[in-house]
Amino acid sequence: MTETLNIPPRWRAFIRRGSAMVWLSGAALALSLLMMVGLVGYIAAKGLGFFWPSSIVQVQTSEGPILGEISAQEKAHGTDPAKTQFRVCNRDLFGQDYRWVPSADIQDPQRPADAVLVERLENGPFIGFIQDGSSGETLVLRAVDGQTLEIPRKHIVRIVPSNALGVFGKSRVYASRLWEFVAGDPRESNTEGGVFPAIFGTVMMVLLMSIAVVPLGVVAALFLREYARQGWVIRALRIAVNNLAGVPSIVFGIFGLGFFIYTVGGTLDQIFFSQKLPTPTFGTGGILWASLTLALLTVPVVIVSTEEALSAVPRSQREASLALGATKWQTIWNVVLPGALPGILTGLVLAMARGAGEVAPLMLTGVVKLAPSMPLDASFPFLHLDRKFMHLGFHIYDVGFQSPNSEAAKPMVFMTTLLLLLIVLLLNLAALRLRSRLRARVGGSSF
Amino acid sequence: MTRIPPALIRAKRTDRFMTGIITMGGFLIIAAVLGILVFIGREALPLARSGKSRTNPSLQVAPVAGLLADESGKVIGLLRPDSGVECIALPSGTPLATLQDGPVRPWKQATEPSSRGEFAVLDQENKLFFGRLNWEKPSGDPDPTHWTPTVEWNGGMPASMDTLLAVRALPPSGLATQPSYRVLASGKDGLSWTEWSEGALTWKSITIPELQDTTQAIWSADGAHLWAGTRSGNLHFLSMEGEPTLNSSLAFGEPVTALGFVLGQTSLLVGGEQGKLLACQAIKKEDAFLLQWFHQFEKLNGPIRGFKSSLRDKRFLAWSPNHVVVDHLTTENRIFSASAQDTRHASLSARGEFIYAASSTGELRSWSMDAPHPEISAKVLWGKVHYEGYEKPEQVWQSSGGTDDFEPKLSLMPLVFGTLKGTLFAMLFALPLALFGALYTSQFAHPRLKNIIKPAVEIMAALPSVVLGFLAGLVLAPLLEKSAIHVILLPFFALLAACIVAPLWIRMPKGFRLGWGQGRETLWLIPAIFIGLGLCIVLAPSFERIFLGGDFRAWLLAKHSITYDQRNAIVVGFAMGFAVIPIIFSVSEDALSSVPKALTSASLACGASPWQTAWRVVVPTASPGIFSAIMVGLGRAIGETMIVLMATGNTPLMDWSPFNGMRTLAANIAVEAPEAPVHGTLYRVLFLTALLLFALTFLLNTGAEVIRQHLRKRYETF
Repeated sequence: MTETLNIPPRWRAFIRRGSAMVWLSGAALALSLLMMVGLVGYIAAKGLGFFWPSSIVQVQTSEGPILGEISAQEKAHGTDPAKTQFRVCNRDLFGQDYRWVPSADIQDPQRPADAVLVERLENGPFIGFIQDGSSGETLVLRAVDGQTLEIPRKHIVRIVPSNALGVFGKSRVYASRLWEFVAGDPRESNTEGGVFPAIFGTVMMVLLMSIAVVPLGVVAALFLREYARQGWVIRALRIAVNNLAGVPSIVFGIFGLGFFIYTVGGTLDQIFFSQKLPTPTFGTGGILWASLTLALLTVPVVIVSTEEALSAVPRSQREASLALGATKWQTIWNVVLPGALPGILTGLVLAMARGAGEVAPLMLTGVVKLAPSMPLDASFPFLHLDRKFMHLGFHIYDVGFQSPNSEAAKPMVFMTTLLLLLIVLLLNLAALRLRSRLRARVGGSSF
Repeated sequence: MTRIPPALIRAKRTDRFMTGIITMGGFLIIAAVLGILVFIGREALPLARSGKSRTNPSLQVAPVAGLLADESGKVIGLLRPDSGVECIALPSGTPLATLQDGPVRPWKQATEPSSRGEFAVLDQENKLFFGRLNWEKPSGDPDPTHWTPTVEWNGGMPASMDTLLAVRALPPSGLATQPSYRVLASGKDGLSWTEWSEGALTWKSITIPELQDTTQAIWSADGAHLWAGTRSGNLHFLSMEGEPTLNSSLAFGEPVTALGFVLGQTSLLVGGEQGKLLACQAIKKEDAFLLQWFHQFEKLNGPIRGFKSSLRDKRFLAWSPNHVVVDHLTTENRIFSASAQDTRHASLSARGEFIYAASSTGELRSWSMDAPHPEISAKVLWGKVHYEGYEKPEQVWQSSGGTDDFEPKLSLMPLVFGTLKGTLFAMLFALPLALFGALYTSQFAHPRLKNIIKPAVEIMAALPSVVLGFLAGLVLAPLLEKSAIHVILLPFFALLAACIVAPLWIRMPKGFRLGWGQGRETLWLIPAIFIGLGLCIVLAPSFERIFLGGDFRAWLLAKHSITYDQRNAIVVGFAMGFAVIPIIFSVSEDALSSVPKALTSASLACGASPWQTAWRVVVPTASPGIFSAIMVGLGRAIGETMIVLMATGNTPLMDWSPFNGMRTLAANIAVEAPEAPVHGTLYRVLFLTALLLFALTFLLNTGAEVIRQHLRKRYETF
């Protein structure tokens, strides 16, 4: 028996002493890490690649010529033959932005140097040729099938002669598109243009949330750590507050809907805005209620990290302050709080990161797909807390899942996703750095 | 005596003031944060409250032949055979108007008015009239004395009828502009019916032997069918298109004394001589009708005389000569019950808030009822309920339908099931990866590697779930649909690749293995995984062609009759697992790392290998911590909203198939809450589910925290 199963001693050690299992657990880690890196990389590649002008290809098929960017290729699968997807644009002429063609049917691919991609304010981009550019008012365009189209120049965002551009020219187009994305207004029900209102809404909401969450969190942490008598009640409270961070965000969302909007907002409307009823002012979703809901959601984060920072302030410093005759509050204000500041900041940044990425509670408390006006503008009283707002996360959900033309909107969603991901990851990274600096300082101090 | 400097006094005062502020503020903030639970509970609580009713003072009026309740509860119309339709204000009883037009008084007969207020009258000259009472209310005027009642009379043609049974108004059909009316009558020749349409009266008798002893009969809503109850205790269902034919029958068990419909006109209520009360429905199955008793209610005292239904929900009024009750069809609960002697006629206001009963002597009793959520009971939320149009009792979530007479189906079981299913698939995916990853990081990884991995994973925990949901729904789901077989085969190919890499590794020189391998195995395995992926991509299509006939989805449908949804549980499992991995990893890594060095050193000193030490010493010691990590992960998976919302079809199914979607409690709130009317039943049920989620996650997290603290204390003894 042992002769037939002649396992070399190396192998025996490898298996019996568990090295194989070590490798297996290493594989689990490798897989997890790979997936995470792959996810961020995939989003980055898909999002960033979208703005780079790709070549316009002209091919002949049995159904006539096709002019467009090659957007996807699919291998033969089962009975389906291999297919190529072209982004042909010209929604107003062809009815669809994308077209699948059997790869075998494609002949004579060319890259005409005079082909252009014209980005328009309406009906998505146009791919074709410039027929007549002499008029200052309008531009006459010709599609690949010979149809001509006259569009006013003021409806044109930019003309990209992709095939004629060099790397430098393409970079300029890329930069201009990126700028439009970050600073422009959305077009075509959010599937084109920029996401500036969503960025603005997200930032505004997070700032309002921070204004609410810092005093709440710091006072609660001071109470728990410095003023309350430590006993089982405070221990239980601490656990409860801790665990509030684990309560699903949608629960906070429905709480916000029921409490802030219907109860508080409804009452405010009846007292102060009764002349406008039944049109609600505060009795409907708005940026104030969304921020307060998120503040409740994130207050445990601030409490926990403030408490941690308070307890890390060395006892000797407090005792020194008290020994010099300072009152408890003077000690806290002049010694403890400054010492705990990095910890408080860490908590705030973590809360901001969490707040920026949450979408579910906002869906119930005031986010909209397209806000007609921003919560901050030049008309009195400048800050409109009752207004609805746009949000990057909700933008992703809405454009990706509710949009009628989700295929055309997909690259846009990738870019928005990348932006949100960057914001959240950078905030977290900042919190991480802050925390490690705090730890280093406390650990390295000579008290 | 030394004078205390004012600065010191100020400082003292500030100190006292701030102590007060912070103590109070801190206490208030924590109370407010915990108050969330209280608020959510308070919003859900009215669901559990049973209805309240109040007896209003009764009035003395002349004897009536029927009551016409108005929606407002402020006025009521009385059918008086000798003086016409009399309208009075409530609760004072002030007469408003008596409408004497139409039929010649005293009327010979009048039918019991239907729930919508239509009635038929046979007047002194044997002319048949159809009436409907309307109230003209100047908009916004709450004073009933300013309202004008009118009766819209139709018909008025001579007819010979024996006993009028029931009237039904049919909506105008074809070119007709006016509704047509049909009235049923019984006599010694059996059942007959009369139709008034476009000014013409037609009379037809029904000669079916089974219907000889008919006591009550009623038209179906579309006029295509007829229900008849007999003295011999049977219920017959007739097809009336063309020649009347008996479709099917059911035994009731006692003489039928009353028939009536619940809102929606599909559920027929049948009342008997002994007070028996059942509901019946006819379900169309292929070409035939399946008749079934599908709800049973508590008996009434005495023979049931009639039914009136609410025009807003599925509650209805039933009365016998000494008992007036209001029951709810779906829950079978009795919302209201009162004993009222000598009741002849009764009525229910449209919203079901007011109940009126008139005695033979003309005493008009009235009650007000406050039952805001009669459609909810423990059985509706958790048990199986027989809904209208369903063949058997089922657990269904369908909160709204296309029509006003829709029966809400609010079973929480499909949602709880969906939550468990999603969590299960996420855990199946996440647990092995997260736990083994954590074990490796804490025990075997090189410190330099560990210092990179830990923060990286922690940052991943903050990945917005909307990003994961988007990727799952728009990238992973279509990918999986195209290449499900790749994903299923990938683990096997990865193992295969590991089997290729391992022998290579063993053959490496020892120095290389110790120097470059220990603590860095993970890095070496990354290429192995890529090899596995490559093998999978190359070989999976052949596998699919050879064993599954070329198309996995077609094979699944043909061989196992499983349909493949694009957004299914596997997609959710992946995406949600992804969200949970960093959390489980981070908590369990903490627990594993903080196992006292003394224990591992002792084990290693005794000659155990690192793996033996890790598996037999570290893992058992840290097992409570690992358990708490799993609990925290469960809490996150249960409450995850965006991923489920985006990566499933949100269909509330109860099906364990990994290729189907589901709807979870959390996603359900996101889907339904924006549309739910404030303080309505759906709104409160959603708060109930929020409470459930809150309680569940809070318990899981608290349990985990308690275990962790316990563990920390145990480690301190080393």
